[in-house]
Amino acid sequence: MTIIDANVQPHFRFNSEIRRYLSAPHKLRAIPDVEQQWYQAPGGDYRQDLYGDGYPGSDPETMAHHLFDDNGVDYAILNPLTRGNIADYLLNSRICAAVNDWLLDRWLEPDTSNRFRGTIRVNPEDVRGAVAEIERLAGHPKMVQVGVPMQSREPYGKPMFEPIWEAAAAHGLPVAVHINGGNGVDHAPTFAGHAYTYPGYAAFMPLNSFVHLATLIVEGMFGRHRDLRFVFADGGYDILTPLMWRLDTFWMSMRDQTPWVDRFPSEYLRDHVRFCSSALDGPTDEGQAEQWLDFTNKADLLMYGSSYPHWSATGPSAVIAGLNDAQRDKVLWRNANDLFGVAEVEGSLA
Amino acid sequence: MQRLPVCAIEDLPPGTMKLVQAGKFGVGVYNIDGSLYAIANYCSHEGAPLCLGYVRGTTEYDPEMPDQIRHVREGQIARCPWHQWEFDITTGACLADPKKKVRTYEVDVAGGQVYLTA
Repeated sequence: MTIIDANVQPHFRFNSEIRRYLSAPHKLRAIPDVEQQWYQAPGGDYRQDLYGDGYPGSDPETMAHHLFDDNGVDYAILNPLTRGNIADYLLNSRICAAVNDWLLDRWLEPDTSNRFRGTIRVNPEDVRGAVAEIERLAGHPKMVQVGVPMQSREPYGKPMFEPIWEAAAAHGLPVAVHINGGNGVDHAPTFAGHAYTYPGYAAFMPLNSFVHLATLIVEGMFGRHRDLRFVFADGGYDILTPLMWRLDTFWMSMRDQTPWVDRFPSEYLRDHVRFCSSALDGPTDEGQAEQWLDFTNKADLLMYGSSYPHWSATGPSAVIAGLNDAQRDKVLWRNANDLFGVAEVEGSLA
Repeated sequence: MQRLPVCAIEDLPPGTMKLVQAGKFGVGVYNIDGSLYAIANYCSHEGAPLCLGYVRGTTEYDPEMPDQIRHVREGQIARCPWHQWEFDITTGACLADPKKKVRTYEVDVAGGQVYLTA
């Protein structure tokens, strides 16, 4: 059985380690710590057994043991966090570049097992810098996607971001959207404002991905860029069905306002959109999981993502509970392999 | 089905519509640039009186235009007064989903008189 874990967050051993990868003009600038957020998980964002000499998820050997040995994963897509929408967008782009250099230096290049793949982190608030960073690293064989934060002050369907998506698509790299670390100049985390508690935040923050997704479809980004693919890595696939019902229904009535949308909004999903699984997703009654995953063809969109070393990290067995064999095959391996092309051997459930 | 007199052709100039008491819900007979067409006054969505909505054109994507929209098929599109679905009067097809057609009827002119077969 081949398993691809499409959402793993490697971390620096300690917060200041990033400074080793920053150039002299930026080395001493103030940079938020990765867990410096208004909404902190009680006990810390990461598995409590993993806080030790280094930060959780900071040691490649320990991570390999947990993912590859304990979880039976064959390939892991590493998507490191940066430090928030820092107002100095040029500094933020240097932070992204430092994270990328560190990922290559500490994780991807030393990995002789060839099981880790990486993400080119870019700062969408600096469009030229983001495109330059994609051009700098897209040729690296182990970089398999571009990463941007969920937190954005404009939805990602806006034309200001188009050069970034164009560059990613030109290199065949999907764009992964994931809630970032650190702290920056952000909007409130829910549509209605600031949550009061961590559960209020954690349950609803991933829903922001639907605003990005809806604008990407409605503003024609997928229509104009046939090779553009987005991965929503914080979960929420289970809420996709009613959202697409709404968009499709609205399109019946208001199609003429957006003639660049030349098919039902839901028809863009299979070619352009994937979701990673999360611990909060899916019916609480496992008996409904199989049917719900097939509603609006979500089985073609979902990829197993552990969120390791997050406190809510999940193993593959939890994600496929209640699913049929064909669905498990897609979720654990096939959908991710179609996107990233990492596995050389066909997966099977035998 | 029967062939019903609608009106004299002078009374249905281009850009106008006559609503005829025919069939179960009425039929709209349209003159679009000198050609005659007829559709049921019954939207395929929820049965609204389709022929009482606006008659307009529709839009196509055109990246060369400042608003990226080109206005086309002026006078050829019936817009449902309830939920704004668009139908091509010449074919009955719903623009968003061609499977959701409205019924069309034969129209002819003989001796200066417009006839509808409904």
